[in-house]
Amino acid sequence: MAHAAVMTTPANRELGAGVYNEKLGMWVFLGSEVMFFTALIGSYIILRFANPGAFGAPGQVLNVPVTAVNTFLLICSSVTMVKAFAAAHDGEMQKMKYYLLATTIIGAAFVGVQVYEYTHLIHEGFLPSGIRPGSHLAELAEAGQLGLGVADPGVAGVYGSSFYTMTGFHGFHVTCGVICMSFVTIKAFRGGYTQADHRGIEVVGLYWHFVDLVWIILFTIVYLI
Amino acid sequence: MATAALAHDAAGHHGDAHELSFIRKYIFSTDHKIIGIQFLLMSLIFLGIGGFAAMMIRWQLGFPGEAFPGGALLPETMAPGGIVLPEFYNSLVTMHGTLMVFFAVMPLLVGVFGNFLIPLKIGAPDMAFPRLNMWSFWIAVPAGILMMAGFFVEGGHAAAGWTSYAPLSAIGEYSGVYTGQQIWLLSLAMLGLSSILGATNYITTVVNLRAPGMGWFRLPLSIWALFVTAILVLLAIPILSGAAIMLFFDQTIGTHFFDATGGGQPLLWQHLFWYFGHPEVYILILPAMGVVSDIIANGSRKPIFGYHSMVYAIIAIAFLGWIVWGHHMFQSGMNPSLGMTFMISTLLIAVPSAIKTFNWMGTMWRGQLNFHVPMLHAITFVSMFVIGGLSGVFMASTPVDIYIHDTYFIVAHIHYVLFGGSLFAIYAAVTFWYPKMFGRLMDPFWGKVHWILTLIAFNVTFFPMHTIGAQGHMRRIYDPNQYEFLQPLQGTNTLITIGALVLFGSQFIFILNFVISWFTGAKASANPWDDNGLEWTVPSPPPHGNFATVPNVYHAPYEFSSPLVEEDFLPQNRKLDGTVGSADTPAAG
Amino acid sequence: MTDSHEFQHPNYWAVWGFLFVLTVTEVGVAFLPWSKNLLILLLLGMALWKALLVALYFMHLRFEKFRLRIFVLAPLPLTVIIVIAVLTEFVR
Repeated sequence: MAHAAVMTTPANRELGAGVYNEKLGMWVFLGSEVMFFTALIGSYIILRFANPGAFGAPGQVLNVPVTAVNTFLLICSSVTMVKAFAAAHDGEMQKMKYYLLATTIIGAAFVGVQVYEYTHLIHEGFLPSGIRPGSHLAELAEAGQLGLGVADPGVAGVYGSSFYTMTGFHGFHVTCGVICMSFVTIKAFRGGYTQADHRGIEVVGLYWHFVDLVWIILFTIVYLI
Repeated sequence: MATAALAHDAAGHHGDAHELSFIRKYIFSTDHKIIGIQFLLMSLIFLGIGGFAAMMIRWQLGFPGEAFPGGALLPETMAPGGIVLPEFYNSLVTMHGTLMVFFAVMPLLVGVFGNFLIPLKIGAPDMAFPRLNMWSFWIAVPAGILMMAGFFVEGGHAAAGWTSYAPLSAIGEYSGVYTGQQIWLLSLAMLGLSSILGATNYITTVVNLRAPGMGWFRLPLSIWALFVTAILVLLAIPILSGAAIMLFFDQTIGTHFFDATGGGQPLLWQHLFWYFGHPEVYILILPAMGVVSDIIANGSRKPIFGYHSMVYAIIAIAFLGWIVWGHHMFQSGMNPSLGMTFMISTLLIAVPSAIKTFNWMGTMWRGQLNFHVPMLHAITFVSMFVIGGLSGVFMASTPVDIYIHDTYFIVAHIHYVLFGGSLFAIYAAVTFWYPKMFGRLMDPFWGKVHWILTLIAFNVTFFPMHTIGAQGHMRRIYDPNQYEFLQPLQGTNTLITIGALVLFGSQFIFILNFVISWFTGAKASANPWDDNGLEWTVPSPPPHGNFATVPNVYHAPYEFSSPLVEEDFLPQNRKLDGTVGSADTPAAG
Repeated sequence: MTDSHEFQHPNYWAVWGFLFVLTVTEVGVAFLPWSKNLLILLLLGMALWKALLVALYFMHLRFEKFRLRIFVLAPLPLTVIIVIAVLTEFVR
């Protein structure tokens, strides 16, 4: 009896938020995530405003084309995620399973591309502590080719610090999302979700879209500005 | 049928048909009442450790050059010959603040009473996410253990103050502390996660799980306060987490967030920390105000005066609390225009607090006052909080603060609001809800002895700090006698220390009362205080699932001395004709 | 029984298309030789537009009750406050 009603709130519960507990809980939790990324991204904005010369021009240090494609990948995974939810809502359970699988795979691909990007950057000499002396980037910086306002690579410290921390923690959030998504996908393939009750899909979907949303902002601020 | 469905819905597992093992029932419990008690035991331990750190600090200031009793047991790196080293003193000062704020007062108010009271007082069988609740506690415990481990690492524990300002905290070379500071940061990050999960739980529960008839303006003020506090926790703690991560990276992987030589901004730490830190102090006081409101109404046998304005005051304090953080930074070298902005907003925030104070007094006015132990503590809260609030008005004024910033005047303020305020409220609340938690009453005689000794020793300890602070005695200082102008204050420092020792000793009366009453205290009925809350309509202690049937709420929370009934109280689920209501419609579908 | 979840699915592929176009435009705009401030305005505007599309259509905020939207909107002023306040430190 209670089962069919779990995706809604029972009549006498209209005292509440009008959504079931798990969904409300996820939205509430996302509020805290907004504040967490505020601290990181806000600090980046502040540090950059305070010391613009320490940050490179778009494309000079970071790889915009690859990351643009990666951004698009993540957006695609958001689409497959919401299509999975829509399929569950409409009772098309087969479609739901494959959309979930697609989301997991694309999400994992995003993380993979990020890892590749990191290794490439580190190899080039772009570290959390700044530009490694004697590296390829150090040479470019000294020759004034990086769009850095100062010739001393050591002062590019905050650039590396903020880049790796922001994108790193975003990547960490995506990884957690991929892990959760894997569990959800496995449960889906085992028939754990029905048209009447697919709360887990909606809730993990909200988290997934949020992570995509943060990346949309991050990509613009960090790579394009 | 309705109850089982409700229990299934909210508790997420089937009813209490099967017996749980001891471990599932008491260690890894998902029952909010057990988790509340777990937080209580953990926090009381940290309250003791934090207090002990304070004793060592006070000993150094009161009896400089004399060995601390038992100090010979401490290692040479901390206190050779029983006399603390300056470096260890800095760690003590840091850890006293850290343990008291994060591992004592916050869990005592939010972890204990948030957990224990919310489901009971709103008429719910448990929290919205009971398993998440269990995780909240079991993440907090290793966080605490990790924090204590910091004492045993090379270089000593974090020693940059509980506020951990950069660059002292960011660059190990400046203080000699490396691992200790990193442990501090990791521990707080873990505790932060525990708090955020808890806040998510509390907010969802209060919004969605209220019993039928429990509209927003029928919620007891303790629940309002805990709900608003949970929102503050949810939004403020992540700022600390972010900042702590950046500081951790500065310490470990060579980032330069707060390091000027690398292009960073030391002031950024202060802004981020206090953007969290100021809402944090309202997290530490709002629940205290909430429980005090419940208890004063009970002890006055009158409804709370101005219930609606009390609610709006709580909300106003929470709102304004976000735009006052700069008053901790008047001396930091920040933009002077910001200084003026923060002075105005800080002076403003005194208004809602004052409204609450007058309303407590209005509640007591012409009430049938019953000075039971919780009432004594609650009244003490109001008076001590007023003193703390008044010193706050001085500090809010930027020109005055330039003179008293980082002196003992600030220390006096902190302790009048946190001890005189929060801790007395905690004593009130623990004593008041003890029977509901444990089924027994704490001994009232020893309760009163503890109260009066604490009240007197507290004021002997902290009031003189206003004076020495105004005379220039700075805080966190190891040896004030190195300054000639402070030498005449030694006598006062010794007096404060004596007060502090008596204060610390008196708390053992409370602990003994707490522990002994658990086993031999007078058995408690369901409603020993003749109170109106829903928790008093179920046995002491309540069974798993709390309510046999979902209660239906008919009244506001403080219907004391109502002319409509014979008794001087009227529980929220009791109709005027004396019958008890249960949900008119089944809970689910 | 009442299904508070009753809504018409928006056209998710259309939203995806919008997002694709916006992303490509952003990358293009970023390398135009215009004034820095104008670029920042345009890029941030586009990023926010994309974020809003995701929030309103993928996270279904367009179809949720106002009560829920309040929870979402609540942290946003706090984000603005800290960034603006600390930026004033560096305004010369």
